Amino acid sequence: MKYPALCPIALLAALLFSSASAADLLPGRANVRSTTLANGMKIIVWPSHDIPNVALYNYVHVGSRNEAIGVTGLAHFFEHMMFNGSARRAQGEFDKLMEAQGGSNNAFTSDDVTVYQDWFPRSALELVFDLESDRLGHLAFVPSVVESERNVVYSERRLRIEDSNQGTLTEQVQSTAFAAHPYRIPTIGWPSDIKAWKIEDLQNFFRTNYAPNNCTLVLVGDLEPDEVFALAQKYLAPLARQEPRAPLRTIEPDQLGEKRVTVERKGQTPLLYLAYKAPPPTDPRFAALSLLLTVLAEGDASRLHRLLVEDKKLAISVDSYLQEGFDPGLMWLLLALPAGGDVAVAQQALDDELARIVRDGVTAAELRRAKNLSATGFWKAVATIDGKARLLGEYDVIHGDWRGAFEAPAKYEQVTLEQIKAVALAVLQNRHRTIGVLVPTSKAGEG
Amino acid sequence: MVSILYRVLIALLSLIAAAPMAAIADVHVPEHQRIVLPNGIVLVLMPEHNVPLISFAAVLRGGAAADAPGKAGVASLYAGLLEKGAGARNAFAFADAVAGAGGSFDAGADSESVVIRGQFLSRDHALMMELLADALLRPRLDASEFATLRQRQIEFIKASKDSDPKSVIGNYGRALLFAAHPYGAPVAGSVHSLAGITLTDVKAFQHDQIGSDRLTLVFTGDIDAAGLRKTVTDAFGQLPRAAKAAPSLALTSSVTGRRVLLIDFPKSVQTYFWLANVGVSRKFPQRAALDLVNTLYGGRFSSMLNSELRIKSGLTYGAGSGFRRGTVPGEFAISSFTQTDNTVKAIDLALATLDTLHRDGVSASMVDSARAYLLGQYPTRLETAAHWAGVFADLELYRLGPGYIEGYGPALKKVTESDARAIIDADFPSSQNLVMVLIGDAAKIRAAVAKYGPLAEMSFDADEYWPKH
Repeated sequence: MKYPALCPIALLAALLFSSASAADLLPGRANVRSTTLANGMKIIVWPSHDIPNVALYNYVHVGSRNEAIGVTGLAHFFEHMMFNGSARRAQGEFDKLMEAQGGSNNAFTSDDVTVYQDWFPRSALELVFDLESDRLGHLAFVPSVVESERNVVYSERRLRIEDSNQGTLTEQVQSTAFAAHPYRIPTIGWPSDIKAWKIEDLQNFFRTNYAPNNCTLVLVGDLEPDEVFALAQKYLAPLARQEPRAPLRTIEPDQLGEKRVTVERKGQTPLLYLAYKAPPPTDPRFAALSLLLTVLAEGDASRLHRLLVEDKKLAISVDSYLQEGFDPGLMWLLLALPAGGDVAVAQQALDDELARIVRDGVTAAELRRAKNLSATGFWKAVATIDGKARLLGEYDVIHGDWRGAFEAPAKYEQVTLEQIKAVALAVLQNRHRTIGVLVPTSKAGEG
Repeated sequence: MVSILYRVLIALLSLIAAAPMAAIADVHVPEHQRIVLPNGIVLVLMPEHNVPLISFAAVLRGGAAADAPGKAGVASLYAGLLEKGAGARNAFAFADAVAGAGGSFDAGADSESVVIRGQFLSRDHALMMELLADALLRPRLDASEFATLRQRQIEFIKASKDSDPKSVIGNYGRALLFAAHPYGAPVAGSVHSLAGITLTDVKAFQHDQIGSDRLTLVFTGDIDAAGLRKTVTDAFGQLPRAAKAAPSLALTSSVTGRRVLLIDFPKSVQTYFWLANVGVSRKFPQRAALDLVNTLYGGRFSSMLNSELRIKSGLTYGAGSGFRRGTVPGEFAISSFTQTDNTVKAIDLALATLDTLHRDGVSASMVDSARAYLLGQYPTRLETAAHWAGVFADLELYRLGPGYIEGYGPALKKVTESDARAIIDADFPSSQNLVMVLIGDAAKIRAAVAKYGPLAEMSFDADEYWPKH
């Protein structure tokens, strides 16, 4: 993430829906238009005139999934470098110019994509096109700036990983869970690689991955598609198409047994993380899996919160996360234990409950609750121009078509108890999971 | 989504020639009803029917300022228990009713209030009202739920230290800056204070501090205003006044000179720092000029602080500043973090940047830039019915009128370079007058940071947010 103003390490949140009729009623959805420039850049526009502002998301189709040993963290590093000057503009000018016309911006990187966000009054529309075009076409690689930004990224790593037990354990579990697939690479990069990138690495990476044919631009707000397309012709169409990156060849081989990683660090509260191999969003079972995870771990009424936090008091929190990327990823269950808590006892209680789910499925009331939570999640997402832009971008880039955002409600509403049970049986397999345990220690020499 | 929320005056200028100020909206408070019920409850109703959601905010004036000395966390535990069983529902049934409807219901405390916020699909408005009335009028305050919640709150403090050191630094800083004033106490309590709180304390808080005379209810979005008014009157009409007066807050006063608190976090790889003095209150008359100067100093990416500590030097991932504004002045704080070895370099640079602000002021072009930034971003903070529920709640809590919202844009447009100079002189502290809080590896930085002023030291593992005397 460019700047620590928003949420922690960017993970694309799963947006769920549950009511087809509700989405049909959405004001303005019929006005969404898209086009693809001759150089391959796709542009999607959703006019929404309630405030005089615009949200722009540029989804660059590159993440840590596209990195290799020795140059891990490059995608995230670019997320930083894209604000650091071009052939025409010095370091800092991008932000100064945008802010002086009322705009703000940020960016985030995931395993799969790097996303640039601008929020600005409509009066700054042409300036923003100019700025975005400039950094895509003429990014500068000034050695002193690269060195300075290298330190900024390392500071971000210290903040999120090295001074954080949660961050450290997450990194260790992710890198243990995958044997071959680059999802094992931490998005922020390994320390040795952050220290060692060379200018040539950056230039090669930029040429291939920041080509217009590798970008999807979404604009939502107080504008009209035709004016956006005209500006795109002027500012973005001149960018040269590049030879597409070779497709990722590596497919993660079948996991043959449970993996376990233990981390000993200074601290007070133990952590227990479980990461199961999970299908990608394009899998027909994905909607059922999303709803299963909602039943398990979303909110105080969820199955695992009630059991582990409220009833047995074995954990102080239960959280979950379902990866939404191009390839099969991970479904996480994240338990924080009280100081002195017994990890083995907590894991046994968790395993017993997951076995019950696999055997008996979930109740009709639990499934209804999950669908209703999804429905309000949808309405909250589309209440802002920012939420709309993110929604269209995620669906177009990760799921394959922005129209899927409006079709998803029916898909979620149609999920049955039997489908939930089937996906639970398929995913909640011990042999397909990685368990991470953080053991807090007070010893001065550790951690 | 909410076209009625704005009466947007857009200049008919070409896209290309548009000046930064040309298309900025003049924000008006949307049409709404404000009703004072006979027992003193303030009810605000703002219909807006574009999406089928209702947002609500229930605000009880008082909050953690009513916590007795040594009992920090009582208001926070009271708020937490409102979700843990009320009326006919136990804790699970309550949570299940909220989530079962796809709703949200979040209660919490801050220094001056207890607030419940939530959103429900409008089809579930009856359930929403039932849950809200039960929580406010008939909370169970169950002994077993209390014990669980109190222990969890203690564990959360420990977990925060393990994974996000900067999230707790303000608690240490405010304790040092405000001392015995309620703003100096941690709203969620400390490990030590929470351990000493009993359910009797929480019930006393309810008896003394909860009542019709300090309750505001706000409903925005897809509401039936007339129906809601009747429902609220029926449900809350008999709520009596609180037994005791709401806490009154003494004026806070600035510190002179420097005091340094070093919190030892062995093996940490960065030093987290927080430099502060007393700032201004919610009713500070030159709010627009203050926001404008803070935007330039530490309130946006290209700010002076972030430019010096991050963009130019690479010392940190982020540096910023801000004012916390209550009924009385809260703190102005600078915060950042840096690799342990760079601790002094980064702090020196932050102090030097403050000196630069005082010495050079800000230029006319900087004022124009910050003005455009604040005006350009303002509409995004007032975009949804949920945003407006929060705005109305704050207007009532701090006794501010609609002019607080509607006058902000016009006031921003008038701020001059000399207004900014006056604000810098009067309201931004000198680098010589600061409390300085550092969380880091004391063995590595103790000697170097002693130069900043009289040094106190404590362990990051301690159960309180201030050193033992």
